[in-house]
Amino acid sequence: MLDFLQAVSDGLLFGATYALIGIGFTLVFGVMHKLNLAYAAASIGAAYAGLLILQVAAGAPPWAVFLCAFLGGGVIGWLVYLTCFHFIPLSNPLAPLMSTVGMLLLIDEIIVHVTAGMPQNYPAMFDDVMLRVGEFTLRGDLLLVAGVSVVCMIALLALLYRTRLGLATRAVSQQPVAAQLCGIRVAQVNAMTFIVTGLLGGIAGALIGASVGALSPLLTTPLTVKGLIVTVIGGLGSIPGAIVAGLLVGAFENVFQQFRGVTERDLYVMLLLFAFLVFRPSGLFKP
Amino acid sequence: MKKIAVAVALAFAATGAMAQEKTIRITGFGAKSGVVRSFGINSEAAMLAAADVINKQGGVKLADGSKAKIVVDFLDDRCNAEEGISVLRRIYGTDAVVAVGPTCSNVAEPLFGILQKKVDDKGDSGLQMPVFTDVAIKVGLAKISEWAFRNVPNETTMYSSLFYWLKTKYPNAKTVFGGVEEDFAHSRASWYAVMKDRAEANGYQVLGNSKWLLNDTNFATQVREMKNANADIVAISAHPFTTCGVLKEMQRQGVKPKVLVGLTSSSSLETLQGCAKQAEGMIIPTSFAPITKEGKAAAETTAKFKGAADLHSMAAWENMFILKQVIESEKISGDKGQLQADRRKIRDGLAKLRETKGLMGVTKRTEDREADKPYLFVQASKGEWKVLHNPL
Repeated sequence: MLDFLQAVSDGLLFGATYALIGIGFTLVFGVMHKLNLAYAAASIGAAYAGLLILQVAAGAPPWAVFLCAFLGGGVIGWLVYLTCFHFIPLSNPLAPLMSTVGMLLLIDEIIVHVTAGMPQNYPAMFDDVMLRVGEFTLRGDLLLVAGVSVVCMIALLALLYRTRLGLATRAVSQQPVAAQLCGIRVAQVNAMTFIVTGLLGGIAGALIGASVGALSPLLTTPLTVKGLIVTVIGGLGSIPGAIVAGLLVGAFENVFQQFRGVTERDLYVMLLLFAFLVFRPSGLFKP
Repeated sequence: MKKIAVAVALAFAATGAMAQEKTIRITGFGAKSGVVRSFGINSEAAMLAAADVINKQGGVKLADGSKAKIVVDFLDDRCNAEEGISVLRRIYGTDAVVAVGPTCSNVAEPLFGILQKKVDDKGDSGLQMPVFTDVAIKVGLAKISEWAFRNVPNETTMYSSLFYWLKTKYPNAKTVFGGVEEDFAHSRASWYAVMKDRAEANGYQVLGNSKWLLNDTNFATQVREMKNANADIVAISAHPFTTCGVLKEMQRQGVKPKVLVGLTSSSSLETLQGCAKQAEGMIIPTSFAPITKEGKAAAETTAKFKGAADLHSMAAWENMFILKQVIESEKISGDKGQLQADRRKIRDGLAKLRETKGLMGVTKRTEDREADKPYLFVQASKGEWKVLHNPL
């Protein structure tokens, strides 16, 4: 029983990393009704960008690396917008989808070429903190990720519902033509959405790097897949949904692994996705 | 005016000599993209470095007594079976006399399958191209084709020797628990067919094993299984990225076995860069450490070509010198019209070898075209791989 509870809690905490990625996917979809498949790769790319500060100032504290990743995420987000959306005919839904697939592969290959595929150590935060209740343990670094996910959700909701930018974003999301007629610069709002999600991606990538202890190009594809699953299960466009679904997928994954083994684990996660698509296509939270 | 005429004549003569200079092409192939890119980079660097040394010494002697320079190409197979097969077909279409590669066992296995199984079998239209593998290490692959040769360490011998040595060094250690990267051909085969088997053969009780995948990042469940087993020896058959992930999780959960054993491919800089602290004390058998004069020189020369010396890349270095020996002993013509005959001679020459000179000593060649390389045990200590024991 303890093993089961531990598996669930480990999964819930690890699911926080999926939630962070899911938030980015869902925000872009919520505003533009487009999927940015390069989001997880861009987030990991931003985390790598954070390491650049160590080239300039060796021994820089972890917060400086995180800050650099945060800013790098914003820049990469804007570049992704420019290359995959701004100059691409959005009327063709396949065009931006394929351009983001291309961007995913491009970011992946850039990372591989720069690092020769070698994992890069990432500064950890609270990695030595373990909350223990007898045999039951909770990882401090993953608690931090979960906490940051919740803070990001609150910050994003505040941005969307308490600021003029948020109002404009919601207007563009609901009625882009009407928003344009009201004087809202749709392209600018879309670019801002990518910059904001990029900044968030920078945090997500850095926290994932910190919780894994290393960055590797191996992270991008699984995070993309898990991020998409989380977005669909949470409800496309729902930020709270992405968080709940992230935690849920993490927990299910660990439980499936506990009972059915690692080789069947992802099979059951996919079945869970299909079950949602069939029985609750709008996801847990309808936006 | 006279001086100019002489200079022009000399220039023409030099150009003529350059044009007549013979070359022998050896094409390497392996992963130069994707997460195992470093293997390809290191193999290519080692091949280029070895060719540079050979060429500076005058090159290779051909059948007619003339000398030829070695030209090295290196193609990327992305550690992908289809790509690997396509790359080999491309190499077959060039004037390369032999191919050196691949990096990944999941490429080597199907790739050897497209070679002619038995030489002179008229009914077999498989490729007649000698392939001399430097990295792909999964046990027993060369037997697939008589055109396939490998200069990779024999893991069965190495782990057998390691567990035998551990038995004497740690007499109180009785049990073993394994950790295996289930979706990677080499790691999987190394646990099930080598480590587990050799541990049992040496009288250890194998309590079980945990499994994970190559791109997993959460190892809490697997390490809990490891903890519950409470084995004296934990043997991890995985590549550096997940090895480090597991070692970090072991530290978190306080799993401290008496002995930690790792996979041959993890005796690299990558592991130490990723988790030197957690890997402290890990023991791995390896077929290369820069302990001999030749080994140190090879490592230094390879570094000049931007490659790192490890058990895999140094096998590529050795392959180049073995091929030089074979080219000279088998009297390769270097004539493009005789390309297929030259390839056959190289195959026959490689098949004839009973031992070769390696960087760590003499390597014995087996009947099934594999190598029985000298090896030693290294241990992670203070951020370095240090020689722990030389069993030979």
